[in-house]
Amino acid sequence: MAEKQPGASEYVIEMLHITKEFPGIIANDDITLQLKRGEIHALLGENGAGKSTLMSVLFGMYKPEKGEIRKNGRVVEINNPNDATALHIGMVHQHFKLIEVFTVLDNIILGAEDTKAGFLTRKAARSKIAALSKRYGLAVDLDAKVEDITVGMQQRTEILKMLYRDNEILIFDEPTAVLTPQEIDELMQILKNLAAEGKSILFISHKLNEIMQVSDRVTVLRKGKYVGTVNTAETNKQQLSNMMVGRPVQLVVDKAPSKPGKVVLDVKHFSVPSRFHSRNAVNDVSFQVREGEIVCIAGIDGNGQTDFVYGLTGLEKAKSGSLTLCDQDITHLNIRKRSANMSHIPEDRHKHGLVLDFSLEQNMVLQRFLEPEFQKGQFIRFAEVRSYAERLIEKFDVRSGQGPVTKARSMSGGNQQKAIVARELDRDKKLIVAVQPTRGLDVGAIEYIHSQLVAQRDAGKAILLVSLELEEVMSLSDRILVMYEGEIVGELDPAKTNVQELGLYMTGARRDSVKGGKVS
Amino acid sequence: MTQKTNTRATETGRTILASLIAILTGILAGIAVIIIVGLCSESIPAQSIWDGIRLVILGVFNTGRDMSGNLTFGFNPTYFGNMLFRAMPLILTGLSVAIAYKTGLFNIGAPGQYLAGICASLFIALSIPTSSVPVWIVWLAAFLGGMLAGALWGCIPGLLKALLNINEVIACIMTNWLSACLVTFLFNMSNLKNVIEGTKTGYIYKTSMIINDIIVDGVQTVAGTDIPEGAHLLATRGGVATPKLGLDTLFAGSQINGGILIAILLAIIFYIIMEKTTLGYQLKACGFNRHAARYASIPDKRNIVLSMAIAGAMAGAAGSLYGLSGNTEFYWTTYQSLPQVGFTGIAVALLAVSNPLAVIFTGTFMSYLNINGQQLTNLTAYNEYITDVIIAVIVYLSAFMLIIRSWLGGRRKKAASGKADKKGEVRG
Repeated sequence: MAEKQPGASEYVIEMLHITKEFPGIIANDDITLQLKRGEIHALLGENGAGKSTLMSVLFGMYKPEKGEIRKNGRVVEINNPNDATALHIGMVHQHFKLIEVFTVLDNIILGAEDTKAGFLTRKAARSKIAALSKRYGLAVDLDAKVEDITVGMQQRTEILKMLYRDNEILIFDEPTAVLTPQEIDELMQILKNLAAEGKSILFISHKLNEIMQVSDRVTVLRKGKYVGTVNTAETNKQQLSNMMVGRPVQLVVDKAPSKPGKVVLDVKHFSVPSRFHSRNAVNDVSFQVREGEIVCIAGIDGNGQTDFVYGLTGLEKAKSGSLTLCDQDITHLNIRKRSANMSHIPEDRHKHGLVLDFSLEQNMVLQRFLEPEFQKGQFIRFAEVRSYAERLIEKFDVRSGQGPVTKARSMSGGNQQKAIVARELDRDKKLIVAVQPTRGLDVGAIEYIHSQLVAQRDAGKAILLVSLELEEVMSLSDRILVMYEGEIVGELDPAKTNVQELGLYMTGARRDSVKGGKVS
Repeated sequence: MTQKTNTRATETGRTILASLIAILTGILAGIAVIIIVGLCSESIPAQSIWDGIRLVILGVFNTGRDMSGNLTFGFNPTYFGNMLFRAMPLILTGLSVAIAYKTGLFNIGAPGQYLAGICASLFIALSIPTSSVPVWIVWLAAFLGGMLAGALWGCIPGLLKALLNINEVIACIMTNWLSACLVTFLFNMSNLKNVIEGTKTGYIYKTSMIINDIIVDGVQTVAGTDIPEGAHLLATRGGVATPKLGLDTLFAGSQINGGILIAILLAIIFYIIMEKTTLGYQLKACGFNRHAARYASIPDKRNIVLSMAIAGAMAGAAGSLYGLSGNTEFYWTTYQSLPQVGFTGIAVALLAVSNPLAVIFTGTFMSYLNINGQQLTNLTAYNEYITDVIIAVIVYLSAFMLIIRSWLGGRRKKAASGKADKKGEVRG
């Protein structure tokens, strides 16, 4: 079909019948993706569906076993990222590739610097970038160091990096995973601007809202296979999620009204010092969590939620106040003693959640290896560890290349998260602290984890959820506490509030006088 | 199941093959040096070049020259025994580096810990009067004391790392020189300097020597086995040495003793600890990810200190067993140079990919090269530094072993594991 004249093709990039295999897994099985000029094309799929692999093929990082890539109808050979750059293909990775101690300007020109008699000249670059940033509405401070700027501005820096190199095809790998709701809105506008200016955009995501909002067409992958390509205008969230997961998915959490019982966690006038400045990161916070309810701490990232969880779980020392868990004062107890009644799904799965160089089964017993079930006379009972891991893998559908012996590092982010959730929920503790439990997960996995948390609630557990996703906050929680600048500024009933009102509390525009008082 | 075991088996095979390639390349480099030096030097005839090549590969098996001056090869118990004797401290320092490395720590402090070990052992072995305490108890106390001293010395960088987050490499380098100076100072103050054998200046007594504390004309002094007439014997010290356990008859004419068995035993014990026990699990968890260990209520600080203490104990044991051999002499002015055996331990551990069992073989191999070098010096115009070239090449290649390993796995494997650090996630 591409027998047309070069340049006359409707598509800027075509990836035809791409097949890429890894030991034990076919990551891409006969996948076709065609990107029109000036469109925003979403690539949708669950974790492990093969989205990143496909993009790595396009970027020359992997060599496919079968298939071909065409640009403007002409077959091209892409053997390494330099080839991709020469073809004006640019990519913003999920984890930014910036040098923290360099300025924004230096990061943008890095690798494409102008020199004069061997010396670096920045003048031409500066004016070119300033023009680009104005044209596309990409506000950045060119002289700020990357380590000092917000994540949103870092992302804009990455986009400018691509534009500076005159890239026409822009790939965004899950660009919203690290952004706040406001920044996501800004990014959506930027993407539209870019497409309007004739850039072709590939947008990798598994967030249906964003895809519906911004894309023109959607290509769906499932378990390495091509499912189909649809026009966004002719589809809806339900159809997309069904295509992605391969079965009807419940998008709204199905739960009965909560029946709160006894108080499990009682936080009184709790303060945690900041690691960065002299003020308290968490200041005089008081609330209770009862059995059989899901209490959510909502807020924009960096308003003390992380510090509160560190203080609660014992990773950081508290400054003042008290914590009572299951009628026991745990304010000064160590992590092991606290965890007797508390399980913790940590915010950062690579830092705290997993030992990446351990196998999956070793990670499954990270807290429990000292229990008699898994050791005898200090010798690890390997058979028991194996069968326990296999049971959790089966029960929570954790997918990996080699089962229990897979190195955690080689697993996909979603399956890493599933492994952590499996481990923590199976520990069967009275209080479950879940910090962004569905971060970076696809619809199917989110549905599963949400239903698991509701099931735990109905089994009488107390659940403290910390989430940045407003949708999750609204649909999952029984009570919402909004945290702003380290203080709880409001308590809301999800049945009686809406996202707009929540947003007002989250940005500090409204606050109730609940500080220090009982809000339960 | 079988498929999984197979994957692991090929993985192990690939690791061993990568080590062998490093070794082979190192030896080829050594041969190249021999040929080049031989061709450039007029004093070395072609026959010598050929001898040199053979000795650098098979020096341990040399049995001298025959009537017509040709090298003869066969089992040589002396060299073989000496190889095992020299392997003993190398296995232990290799073990020291390997154990720390498994916990994510780079123990470059083995030389200092080695000195601490040898110092403590010599003081204990030569100070406790064997006239009143059984020799085997003195030996045991000296050995354990040496290990303890090494452990304590290893604790210092461990504590600095755990409590103040000071890089252990820097702390280790400083404790190395502190140890070297301290050991010189302590021996300088001591009464262990060999004054009985007058020709030996600057050396400490061999632990196997008999030292008699005597009073002659009201002045306290020391004497060897011959006590002068009219002297009053206060106490007898020394006569302590690691039992030979019959190994000296098996390897006649060599320095070997039971120490090599202790080294092998320790390697096996630590293999079991690291791979099979909860302690090993904890140490590795802390090494791979200190934050995750802390999150899982594994005491990270304790484990870092413990790991360095164990590493120190192994290097201390190396010094201790070397000192307690009874046929070695310790030159006590150590402050100007650090014992090479501590640094070679790094190469031993690297080549063994930090596997305690593999350390037994790589340690022995390093010692094998050492003896070959010695043979080269004895029998040809070459000197033993050529074996240093070989070791250097091997060390460099060991550092590249990851690359060699993925290269061995072919391109498919390379795509999957070589880039695994950043981009290898198979996800959508």
